[in-house]
Order: sequence, then C-alpha cells, then structure tokens
Amino acid sequence: MKEISELYLPDDVRYAETHEWVKIDDEMVRIGISDYAQDQLGDIVFVELPKVGDTFATGEEFGTVESVKAVSELYIPVGGEVLSINTDLDDAPELVNQDPYHDGWLIEIKPDDLLEVENRMTKEDYMEILEGEE
Amino acid sequence: MGKTVKETPLHEWHKGRGANMSVFGGYDMPLWYKSGAKKEHLTVITNAGIFDTSHMAMITISGQDAFDLLQLCFTKDLNECIGKNKTPIEPGRCVYGAYLNEKGAVIDDTIIGQIDHDSYISVVNAGMGATVTRHLLDHAKGKDVTVTDLSDKTGKVDIQGPLSARILAKVLQSPEQVFEGMPYFSFKGYFDKTSPLSEKVRLLDGTPLLLSRTGYTGEFGFEIFLDPGDLITFWEILLKAGEEFDLIPCGLAARDSLRAGAKLPLSHQDIGAWPFLNNPWPFALPYDARGTGFTKKFIGDESLLGIDKAEHTYAFAGYDLRKVSTCDPAFVMDAEGTKIGTVLTSVSDMAIGRHESKIYSIASPERPGDFRARGLSCGFIKVNTELAPCEMVELQDKKRKMKVEIRDDIRPDRTARRSIQSML
Repeated sequence: MKEISELYLPDDVRYAETHEWVKIDDEMVRIGISDYAQDQLGDIVFVELPKVGDTFATGEEFGTVESVKAVSELYIPVGGEVLSINTDLDDAPELVNQDPYHDGWLIEIKPDDLLEVENRMTKEDYMEILEGEE
Repeated sequence: MGKTVKETPLHEWHKGRGANMSVFGGYDMPLWYKSGAKKEHLTVITNAGIFDTSHMAMITISGQDAFDLLQLCFTKDLNECIGKNKTPIEPGRCVYGAYLNEKGAVIDDTIIGQIDHDSYISVVNAGMGATVTRHLLDHAKGKDVTVTDLSDKTGKVDIQGPLSARILAKVLQSPEQVFEGMPYFSFKGYFDKTSPLSEKVRLLDGTPLLLSRTGYTGEFGFEIFLDPGDLITFWEILLKAGEEFDLIPCGLAARDSLRAGAKLPLSHQDIGAWPFLNNPWPFALPYDARGTGFTKKFIGDESLLGIDKAEHTYAFAGYDLRKVSTCDPAFVMDAEGTKIGTVLTSVSDMAIGRHESKIYSIASPERPGDFRARGLSCGFIKVNTELAPCEMVELQDKKRKMKVEIRDDIRPDRTARRSIQSML
C-alpha cells in the first residue's frame, strides 16, 4: 500500500469523498478515480461504464470497477449527461492502475452546473480526508 | 480469542515492500505486493511464487495412542489412505481430511503427516490451533497422548509453481538426495534442531527444514516449516535464489484465486458449520468400496450416514471474469428463477479463459494459437438440489446477475502432481 506521501494527487483536479476525481476541460468535465482508490483496490480487471447519453444526478452510481478483491461502485462527483466513455478500458482495464488521471480516465460529461466542480475538494482537503482514513 | 491482531515475523518485511495488508484469521497479512495480485497469480502458474503462510497453525500429536486419537477425530482412515492401493499411513507421508463435530459439521480441515510411528503433525488454519487442540484433548481422556499447539512457534513459507524445485535446489544441501522418493503428499526433515529427523533437509547454512510436497494453489510446489527465528533469512535466501526464475512474493489474494481455480475449499467458507457431505471433496471421507458406509468409526460418522437430505456444494465457472459479492450475500437461482442456494466463493482465475466452450489455461499445452486468458469467475455454491456438470445456474447479488456453469473441475493442466524429477 502506498503511504500518503507516495500518492500522486495532481493540483489541477478536484476530488470527491468517494475517491473519484473531476477535471474541467472547456465546457465538459472528465472523471476518473484517484491514485489512492486504485492503490486500495489493487489490480483492476474490469470496468463497467454507462452509455453515452445517460444522465446522472450528483452522487449517483454511474458504474463499477472490479478489482481482484471486490466490485466497487463509482459515484459521479458532478451531475450531468455522459458525452463519452473511455473504451480503451475494455481491453486494458489496468490503465486505471497505471495512469489513473490520464489514460485511465473513465467518462466525460456535460455537467448540469459547471460551478459545482468548485464544491469538490482540493488536493489539500482530500489529503486531510485520507489522513483520517489511515 | 483476544482481539489483538497478530503478526508473522515477516510483517515488517511485507509492509516495507509496499504490500497491501488486511486481517485474515486474526493476522495482519499481505493481500498483494507491488506487482499486483493478477501478476502474482499468473507467475505461480508459469514460474513460481512464495507465500508467507506463518499464520497457519500447527499441532503435534504424540504418544502410544496418537494413532487411535486421530482415527477417532480425523475423517480419513489412517489404515487405508496412501495411494491407489490405500495402504496405511507411514512416516513421511501426509493426508488431507477434516475434524468434524458430532453433527458431522466441519471444525476445520487439515493435513496430517506421520513423523514416526507414535508422532503426528496436523496443519490447521490460521487461528484454529487452540480450537482444534482443545477438541483433540476433549477426546484424549484415558489415552496416552500429548497434544501440543505450536501456533506462532513455527514459521511457514510456501513455494509454489513449476520452477519451485529448481529454485530450492540452489539453496538446499544435497538436493538430489532430498528430492529422491518425494511423491505428492510426502515430506522430509524437521524444523526442530534437536530432532534427528532435522538432518534430512538443511539449507546450505545448516538451517533445518520440514519440506512437504503439498500446497494450496493446485500447482507444483512445497510447503516449508522452520523455526520462526529463521524465517526472514530463509525468505530472503529464496528470493535471491529465485531472481533468475522471476520468483516473486505473493499475497493472500493470489492464494485465494489460485486455490479456487484448483477446486480447493477454504475452511469456514466452502466447508464449515454444516454436514461435510455432497461436496467436491468426498475423498476426505473414509468411504468403503461400495461408497455407502465408512471403513472406520469417527466423530460425526453416524450423523453423516443418517442425514436424509443434505445440501449440495458444487464448483462453478462463469463466462467472463466478473464476480458476485458473497458478503451481500449472493444467491443461486435455477432456470425457473427459483432461489436454490447461496454463493460460498466467487473469485476470478485470471489464468484461464473459454475457447469454443472449452476452458484453457495459459499453461495448457493444447491451447489454441490465438488464445488469450481473459480470466473467468469461479468458486463454489451451496444449493438445496442436486445439479449435474454443465448445468447452468444464475448467481445474483445486489448489483448483477450472471449465468455460470456447474463444473467437475475449473483450471485445467495444473502441475501439483507432476514428479519432482520432471520439474528439475
């Protein structure tokens, strides 16, 4: 298991308490899981994602990641409509472990309210939560 | 039992190497190391892996009446348990079976080895040393027998995988001599330096070992018992010797998926507080030639023979690697959608896949040229009705439903029973 100091937690994304990250890219936002989440889950062997066009309210379950250990729910950090999903994960779910913020992204959505992203945690706030979970 | 979480002597080593730890059987154990559980699982099938299994408990049973006590408490008939001809147990041989209560339910499963004519060793699961010792002592009244719980007094390392013997050969004194006449389910040497048997198997530095040709992965390999004080050094000697063979340390997650694919039960999950009957492990009971009675009397026998309708436990394999969550719990449905039971174990064996209705492993010599193991879910279910191999049932947890097939066996082309000579 990585120590908190070993985790890669970029500054340019926001974090949810359920360990997803969200990043603004123009009018849309990209969503994935944090380095902490992938490290805790272990080898990710299957990712179940929604369909393009599906809509979710903030906090709703939008899919699952399956690791060798367990099946874990994914909760959407910001509500909206799914614009695209990372189809590379069909053949290479391990991308979520290897590169959780770039090649291992999960979905892109058109958010209902772009400003809501600002309500999610900064890196500093998220690290405080993680320290509490230790 | 106390609530304190126990540690093996390798605990700091595991944590220092970034292992993901979790409590199992009362011990804080590695689930996987940095290479990840999938690679660990695959490496045991193609090369070799080592497991810290010092959390398992060991009991010695010795004295003039040790044999009688085990005949009473252990499910196998020690008078007819070795090989196809069912000869009596002898020094250096071991057998798999279980300890049952009067109702025929499982207290724990075990491998029992005969050290010499009046002395036996019984390896039981983590945290079960005290319970099984008490059970044996309860039935030892008036018998000339000493039962000793060696929990936390022995270190244990399993080396599993086809290259295990080649790695061990580099670290043992006289490996040819050690490996000679060591069939599956036999052992040599002893971990107690004061025993004359301890001279039979030694490391190059003189450390004595009990080397057993057994394991919990379905693959070729050994279980090794030694003084806990020698554990860390031995672990590092093995890793160094195994470098050229890509030997890696493996955690409990890989151990769980390997054993499930090999159709081996996990005690207190796949066997437990229900009658030890109608399961994939009938060889652990002392059935007579007709298969209707037992060749000896033992605790639980009358209950087992008297049961009208016991539940059935079956192995299954799915069609992709997706699992169900057994803690939800997950249920089993028949073709009509009627609930017929529960899922005991649901894991993914990442070394296997289906090709035209047949399951192949990455180690199958006849696997198709374009075969790629995508992994299959597998495990055990317990149902209230009789099912046949190839029958389909549906597993359902809170999230998903999936069709799986009842199987006689799961991962093909396993190596556990290969001769040592063919693996050197």
